[in-house]
Amino acid sequence: MAENKKYWRGISELENPELTQTLSEQEFPSQIPADEFLGNEDNLDSTHTSRRDFLKYMGFSTAAATLAACESPVYESLPYVVGPEEIIPGIANFYASSYYDGHDYAAILIKTREGRPIKIENNKEAALNGGANTRVHASVLNLYDSTRLQKPVVKGQESTWSALDQGVMEGLQAAEAAGKQVVVLTSSVLSPSQKSLIKKLGAGYTNFRHVSFDPISYSQKLDAWQEATGKRALPLYHFDNAKAIVSVGADFLGDWIGQSVSGDYAKNRKPGKDMSRHLQFEAGMSLTGSNADKRYKVKASQYGAVLVNIYNEIAAAKGMTTMSGSDVMKAEAKAAAKELLAAGKKGLVVCGGNNKANEHLCIAINAMLANTETTLSYVNRSYFRQGDEKAMQALIADMKAGKVGAVISHNLNPAYVLSGNADFTAAYKKVPCSVAVTQKYDETAQISTFVAAEHHYCESWGDFAPADGHYSLQQPTIKPLFSTRQFEDNLMAWTGATGSYHDFIKRNWTSLLGGNDWSTALHDGVFVKSSSVADEMAADTELESGLSVDLAGAAAMALASAKDAPAMEINFTQMTGMGVGTIANNPWLLEFPDPITRVSWDNYLSVAAADAAELGLKNWNESNGALNGSTVNITVNGKTLENVPVFIQPGQTIGTASLAVGYGRFGAGEVADKVGVNAYTIMGMDHQAAAEVAAVAESKHEFACIQLAHTMMGRDIVKEVNLDTYLNDDAQNGHDGWNEPPIFETYKGPLVGDDVNLWDDFDHETGHMWNMSIDLNLCNGCGACVIACHSENNVPVVGKDEMRKHRDMHWLRIDRYYSSDTTEETAEAEGLGGIEMYANMEVPSESPEVFFQPVMCQHCNHAPCETVCPVAATSHSAEGTNHMTYNRCIGTRYCANNCPYKVRRFNWFQYHDNTVGMFKENYAMNDDLGRMVLNPDVTVRSRGVMEKCSMCIQRTQLGKLEAKKRGEKLKDGQVQTACQSACDTGAIVFGDVNDKESKVFAMKQDKRMYHLLGSVGTQPSVFYQVKVRNTKA
Amino acid sequence: MIKRTTLRLLSPALLVLMILLSSLGLSAQEIQGDAANGKSLFNSQCAACHKLDKKVVGPALGDVTQRRSVEWLTAWIKNNQELRESGDADAIAIFEEYNGSVMPAFPGLSDQDVMDILTYTIEGAKPKDPVPGDGTTVVVAQEDDNSTLLYILGALLLFMVVLLARVKNTLKSVQGDATTTMLEDANVFTRTALKNPRVVTVLTVVIAVVFLQQLYVGLMAVNVETGYQPHQPIKFSHELHAGQNQIDCNYCHSGARKSKHSNIPSANVCMNCHMYIQEGPKYGTEEISKIYAAVGFDPETGSYIEDYEQKPIKWVRIHKLPDLAYFNHAQHVTAGQVECQTCHGPIEEMEEVYQYSPLTMGWCINCHRETKVQVETNDYYEDMHAKLKEKYGPDADITVEMIGGLECGKCHY
Repeated sequence: MAENKKYWRGISELENPELTQTLSEQEFPSQIPADEFLGNEDNLDSTHTSRRDFLKYMGFSTAAATLAACESPVYESLPYVVGPEEIIPGIANFYASSYYDGHDYAAILIKTREGRPIKIENNKEAALNGGANTRVHASVLNLYDSTRLQKPVVKGQESTWSALDQGVMEGLQAAEAAGKQVVVLTSSVLSPSQKSLIKKLGAGYTNFRHVSFDPISYSQKLDAWQEATGKRALPLYHFDNAKAIVSVGADFLGDWIGQSVSGDYAKNRKPGKDMSRHLQFEAGMSLTGSNADKRYKVKASQYGAVLVNIYNEIAAAKGMTTMSGSDVMKAEAKAAAKELLAAGKKGLVVCGGNNKANEHLCIAINAMLANTETTLSYVNRSYFRQGDEKAMQALIADMKAGKVGAVISHNLNPAYVLSGNADFTAAYKKVPCSVAVTQKYDETAQISTFVAAEHHYCESWGDFAPADGHYSLQQPTIKPLFSTRQFEDNLMAWTGATGSYHDFIKRNWTSLLGGNDWSTALHDGVFVKSSSVADEMAADTELESGLSVDLAGAAAMALASAKDAPAMEINFTQMTGMGVGTIANNPWLLEFPDPITRVSWDNYLSVAAADAAELGLKNWNESNGALNGSTVNITVNGKTLENVPVFIQPGQTIGTASLAVGYGRFGAGEVADKVGVNAYTIMGMDHQAAAEVAAVAESKHEFACIQLAHTMMGRDIVKEVNLDTYLNDDAQNGHDGWNEPPIFETYKGPLVGDDVNLWDDFDHETGHMWNMSIDLNLCNGCGACVIACHSENNVPVVGKDEMRKHRDMHWLRIDRYYSSDTTEETAEAEGLGGIEMYANMEVPSESPEVFFQPVMCQHCNHAPCETVCPVAATSHSAEGTNHMTYNRCIGTRYCANNCPYKVRRFNWFQYHDNTVGMFKENYAMNDDLGRMVLNPDVTVRSRGVMEKCSMCIQRTQLGKLEAKKRGEKLKDGQVQTACQSACDTGAIVFGDVNDKESKVFAMKQDKRMYHLLGSVGTQPSVFYQVKVRNTKA
Repeated sequence: MIKRTTLRLLSPALLVLMILLSSLGLSAQEIQGDAANGKSLFNSQCAACHKLDKKVVGPALGDVTQRRSVEWLTAWIKNNQELRESGDADAIAIFEEYNGSVMPAFPGLSDQDVMDILTYTIEGAKPKDPVPGDGTTVVVAQEDDNSTLLYILGALLLFMVVLLARVKNTLKSVQGDATTTMLEDANVFTRTALKNPRVVTVLTVVIAVVFLQQLYVGLMAVNVETGYQPHQPIKFSHELHAGQNQIDCNYCHSGARKSKHSNIPSANVCMNCHMYIQEGPKYGTEEISKIYAAVGFDPETGSYIEDYEQKPIKWVRIHKLPDLAYFNHAQHVTAGQVECQTCHGPIEEMEEVYQYSPLTMGWCINCHRETKVQVETNDYYEDMHAKLKEKYGPDADITVEMIGGLECGKCHY
């Protein structure tokens, strides 16, 4: 029996006996078929190259190569032939200019080196929008984007300007001859000179129309103000006067109506008796909501109901007639009304969304508070948003009907932002002469007859009137890199105007300047023309009497909307780093982690944990910490957006979901294309819509989320105290429980951190001692500092795959923490054990408080990194900073492992001059054009070395040198780090603590001062100010 | 125009006349001055607009004493405006001939100075006689003496060795022993020596030490370019400009005071002088014309060529620090008051510039250890100096090291 038994070596042998047979025969590899390539013996004999010859040649070439390598390369230096007067090689020039891309506006300074713009700085002299956001700070990189249009394009072929001009002129004349419309389609036009040129073009055609449309429409809001005041313009808000701010869905610190208010808002956020109180009602977690003293979750369709309730409470208190209210957020609305009433004239209600009724309610509440000219002004109005959606819809209808003969679009990418409107593309293609004035071969350009390649703003002249009385200028800082032309030059060419646009602006400004000097205005970049007091008074009274609001109608609409609130509602938002997607092809912005979710290289649907559980959606981490998420299909009004990744967002209102626009491009350039999903495809004019969200089974999306722990797990990483406790605390140095410095037990007895020492300290009394204070009350997490640091310090971009592995290179990150429902106290009360307690603490609250904390190298005076470096590549300076010497570093990474703050960044790959695979994304370092943005004062780091924040040592060194050159003492404020100068709210203060007059010295004495992880005893040169929330004890 | 052509036609005739006259000794009697002083005066006061043999901004002056009287020239040179206003026909004619370009008055020149200059115009214009034999005589250099001596000594030694070997062989043959050749002797000696382990050890150690030392020196010299002296596209002489003509370094390298770079001057800076100085003492017009080719200047008409495509001059960079080291000229030149020569060597003596200093980190650090900071004269250091005096004593020299000049991050970031 036994010999009949057959054994198989595996299933495969049983199934396929021949295969095993073949494999076993081939157990040893066959002979190398040398004959095949060497030929036969005769052949070999007949060749002249013997083995000895081969070795000789090899030896010679190796030796020759080695010897050749010994020779130093010869460098050539090419000076200017005729040196420009204003350029001294090595010294930066700053030019005041303005940024406007159809959505974001900012008054800025452009830093140039040897004629290349390399950095954007805030224009601190600007009274309006002097604080640039992340996009504006990053916009300088787009100048060097090699995927920009380099020539005009006619019918899909690269062409010449004369051909384009001829074609456009013929198109315009044909339209005129056929009696068809000629349309200029733009986003809001802020430039008075551009407006007059559009008008001039229009004068030549019988059926001319200028249509403005904003990518995120505020058309109904504008309509509301038109009805109320007779003028289609939004008011200017003065958050610096506001003591009580109630925002119903308005993300005014993030993206709202274009006015940058974060600086003004921060003025009242310093803790003290007159600290403002900020309440936020909102659906999704916004930047503004995360900074509020109190945040309430409500659906966007119910914003109106909240406003009605607030109106009623205030009206009742003032003895005015009330309306029928709603039971939505009744108690919360009462609380809000109480705050507003207490603040009176200094109260302010603002609302988000694109909704006329809500805006009318807002106007009515603000009118009751009589806050006109204190917290908002409609004497001086803003013009950031002028879009008219009705005109846009009419245009689409006309185009569809073939009534439009020519369309010229500028500062707007209608084929992208209207991709939700199925009619647009088809209608646009019907226009015989379509002209896209754009920098990229974008979605609209791809379907246009003519593409007029446009200048980057750093190459253009321009003027802006963003608000009444506020004017600014834009000036070129570099000669155009390509054969491009700015929009206004096109208009001048097509209207047959002569002269340059620069002269045109100058002429226009003559009357405006009224005797003031043009050069001064150009130097300052901004010009404020205050109308006389009498004018203002006249306008004021006229408006007060003329303020007309159909309150009953508005309330009825608001209540109806609240009643019909859909079960699942989607909100269309913007991400801090992307905005509406105008300058999407920017690796800095794509890699910028969103302040709220800390996700980069993506947009996603934010949903509440409860909804996620119901829909079977989840987020989970892989073993290396990388985050994954389920995906969903979203259907809005019959249109479906597929495979949208889901991010479970604490603080998201149940029954709502948020999705950011600006992603999913297909004509932005190779970096941004196909990143994320295009939310515009399901978006209408409103900022919210009823949606059906269906989970995609077995789906997995890979996120690049760089924060793993979302709560502080009971540690005081961000210290927080409420205003009452802070104000009633008399003890010096905050020894009242909320800011106790850690005490070390030593042989000398208990000592505070600064007095404990194992080694001889540096002499930090002589010379400078650089310190940095970060006020957690003023930081709103906007991230302008992160991009400013990126741009100043040549920080590389690593791409999504590396970000996913937490290999981000940002020298400065902004940590975001959520509060948890479980604290040590509640755990004790509930009798939870340690493991359970910490497990619960890891879960963020469903309505969390949010904390932002910028963290960069803390420049420890007892630095753990310095003691472990085997080659002394990181060392300390007498000026209190920690130096990192790249050329000395051998990449052991001991320092990063020993850093308690995890601020050291390792170059895992060569991120510069590397076009292999994932790294080509960073065109800032990987092509000749992109490299022009690099800061020549900072080394570009190589593979295998550690890097980190240097506290902008190139700036401190320069500041010292300038003082030495002048022979003066260095004054406080003359040296600013990049993050500090980008910070609009003044949260970051940097200076010399040995200068007793300095701001940073005062901040160091503040009772709110604490060191991050003070108990480690590292004695950092960076310190934080305790966050004070304006809440009761 | 007619006048100019006539003049041009006349000039060879004048030259002949001049030579004749000078041979007669007429003008030599009349004009007697110090030609050396005249040359220096001419170079400092007149050379911007005049040359001896060529018309530049003003007329050529080589034969001026033949054309005008000394009295007239003295009056013209001292104050030509006055002379013109006095109604002097010649003066007005020459003024108009040169399209009314004004020659400045030189009231500071004495009569003797004018005489010296005029002497120089005669002497300088004379064709230089070639000195017979000059530059052909080979002079044996002094330092060669040593080596000759060594060769003689070596030959003497060799001779003595051969002599001794012959003596030994003679003695051997007298004794009746077999004689050995010198080669055989040497062979035997080497074999015996190599069989001795002590000799071998000592020899190995010596060879190893020498090899390692040479290797170390060689490796340390990698990328140290001291003495690097590339040929430049224009044979620009610092010896002439900075040495003889005493032009301040900062006139051309103006960035050194303000910026991190000490820039190579742009060609328009060269043109400030070379618009007028169109010929150099050594290479004539050859090298200077390269500047004109770069900027598009026509020396014949004395004007810039319109719509000229300018070509930058490709200088060869001599001093180059690696990118990882940050160096700032202004810090050293303006704040530190360091002389250019401290790092760049005797630049005013260099016909062709070479790298004087090794530019190694050790060299930088050493200087930072030794150099005193300008704490007394610069108000920036006021507070710091007070503290440093407490620390190091009131009379201590404050070096760069003491204010953190050796910290890594001061140069590497």
